[in-house]
Amino acid sequence: MPVFDIFLLEAIVNGILLGGVLALLALGLNLIFGVIDVVWIAYAELVMGGMYLIYWATRLLGTSWPVLLGASVVAIALVAVMGVLVHVLIISPILDTPPINQLLATGGLLFFLQSFATLLFGADFRNLGLHLPILNFLGMYISFARLLAFAAAVLGMLGLYFLLTRTYLGTAIRAIAQDREVMVLMGVNTKKLYLITSAIGGGLAGLAALLLSLQYDVHPFIGLTFGPITFMICVLGGLGNMLGGFIAAFIMSQFISIGGLYYSIEVAYVMAFVFFIVMMFLRPEGLLRR
Amino acid sequence: MRMRGGKPILLLLVLLLALPWQAAAAEKIRIGFIYDLTGPFAAAGAVPAKIGTELIVEMVNAKGGVLGKYPIEAIFADAQSKADVAINEAERLLNAEKVDILAGVYSSAHAVPLAGRVDAQKKFFWITVAISSAVFKNRNLRYVFRPQVHSDQFGLLSTQFLAEFVKPKLGIDPKDLRVAIIHEDGPYGTGVATSNEEGAKEYGMQVVLKEGYSATAPDLSSLVIKLKRARPDVILHTGYNPDITLFLRQAKELGLRFRVLIGHGAGYGQIDRLIETFGNDVDYIFNVDPVAAQLLDPKTLAPGLGDLIQEMVQRYRERTGAKEVPPHTSMGFNNTWILLEHVLPLAIQKYGGWDAEALRQAALDLDIPVGGTLQGYGVKFAPPGHPMAGQNLRAFPVVMQYVGGKTFIAYPTEIRTIDPVLPLPPSSPFAMR
Repeated sequence: MPVFDIFLLEAIVNGILLGGVLALLALGLNLIFGVIDVVWIAYAELVMGGMYLIYWATRLLGTSWPVLLGASVVAIALVAVMGVLVHVLIISPILDTPPINQLLATGGLLFFLQSFATLLFGADFRNLGLHLPILNFLGMYISFARLLAFAAAVLGMLGLYFLLTRTYLGTAIRAIAQDREVMVLMGVNTKKLYLITSAIGGGLAGLAALLLSLQYDVHPFIGLTFGPITFMICVLGGLGNMLGGFIAAFIMSQFISIGGLYYSIEVAYVMAFVFFIVMMFLRPEGLLRR
Repeated sequence: MRMRGGKPILLLLVLLLALPWQAAAAEKIRIGFIYDLTGPFAAAGAVPAKIGTELIVEMVNAKGGVLGKYPIEAIFADAQSKADVAINEAERLLNAEKVDILAGVYSSAHAVPLAGRVDAQKKFFWITVAISSAVFKNRNLRYVFRPQVHSDQFGLLSTQFLAEFVKPKLGIDPKDLRVAIIHEDGPYGTGVATSNEEGAKEYGMQVVLKEGYSATAPDLSSLVIKLKRARPDVILHTGYNPDITLFLRQAKELGLRFRVLIGHGAGYGQIDRLIETFGNDVDYIFNVDPVAAQLLDPKTLAPGLGDLIQEMVQRYRERTGAKEVPPHTSMGFNNTWILLEHVLPLAIQKYGGWDAEALRQAALDLDIPVGGTLQGYGVKFAPPGHPMAGQNLRAFPVVMQYVGGKTFIAYPTEIRTIDPVLPLPPSSPFAMR
């Protein structure tokens, strides 16, 4: 078997595109952890909520591009609202208690959302039934949906970067991420900032929902597929470190893609997890922490 | 055992109190059914199987129960697509609900551990759907029975089918046929894949790739690329639902081409779902499964079974609104029907009741010829000492093919309703060009 061939290149390209999907998922989770210091274990379930919104919108109104675009805007807005609700109803009352409480509470939310979705929509697998164009580039095939997700991840990352570094709001968010207590003493309304952050995090989940629903079936347990690996990527990159998470997503996806090509998908995951464990010993604070 | 003065009297009192209650309770046969009503297995066939089971229980109860006088009290438990939950629910049904019979079970990953545990407790366990051969192989179970086919048959049937058709249809000698075997990595997928490989070897086919993956994997593109590199003529695939749709979608996006795709039940059995996702792209895909009863020619079955099948189809459609009735409905319905209409009456009439011992004896006595059940197969359980003790030796799967959104039987030839179409015609996005 040749070591280098077009298939390896194809695997690398597909790995990068998968990395884009994972990076997008990690972005919102990381933002929320960085600012509010809370891990939303149920983050992937919010994405699932968004996917159902888009599914039902296209189901009822058809799968034309205007509908899809409109549904996406609505889904992003509604998942942003869900993010705010999660904060107001679940996180805010227990914000000052030990972190384990927040973990357990969002863990409870995870099961609630899974069961609620099963109750509402049944256990069936549903999808938009869209047939996206197939891209053929230099003899390599590239998934259009993945390309979109990749572009959205890069744009989301850049957008967030500019928001955090070039705006007054962003400066305030970064400041609060650095020191929660001092910001209160300086008269900053932390509650408002938490709400805004939760809304942005939710909005990013909505965006991820849109891109995932182009390539995956939606079902109540889709979170099982993405939740654990998203969390792992955030930890690998350093919880709260958005650039770290972004890079970690691509490292993990290359492990899966290239490892899968040369060995098997199962072995690839073993390799990715071994790498993760080793890194936890070498850099427990995450890839980019000094 | 020595007892002091008061105790025998107390014991007698307890017995006296318990006796009339027991007699009253004995009128009903309590059966605990375990299926996955939530989680990934629910939509991969577990729910249709549960509905099939429900329908036959209702129909038997409507005429007064077993033998017209012993109604069934069915208790359904949700295994949530998790083995630990299945085990806990089985314990609850057996020891808290005190059911007389444990039945159902969709997933082989649940059936394998459950079978050993239930057998050790000497409780009667009747498996309706899970197919892994590992449930019985060399375990010499005494109280566990399965009318359903087993996975070795699945894997062997697809290679047998290929051996017969690749020369006349593809012009390829079986010895030159390039076969790829891919599967989810639980006992179900692994079991079928192992027998796929055995079958391929038997006919001298070249296995160019054999690989497992987790059914919840978020990405299968590296597997697809590997398949492109291995250039198989035939792909033998065993998986559940999210992984099958992900695989087919990524296979199409990444330009994978092949001549024949044979699926082996579970996700491939849910044609309504596949069509919703892929439209015509699923045309000409094969699926190995126990047959959906309504596809059989009723003339090949024992008298009366055709009407029963019609009623099943009608009731299923009324309950779910579905167009196609998946094979899992037949499995839930037919295999429960065998329990209610054959095993239980025999146990009651010949062995005086429905305790585990009587049921076990009755099951071993059972001798139904081919054509005697709704899915066409007969029933004869492998006796203790047999390497597959407890397995129905007369069950068989069939090869089906999807054409134009409809399901046809392609093999065995004696009962086929279509001349199998292979290779994939150019209209298929997966066809070799």
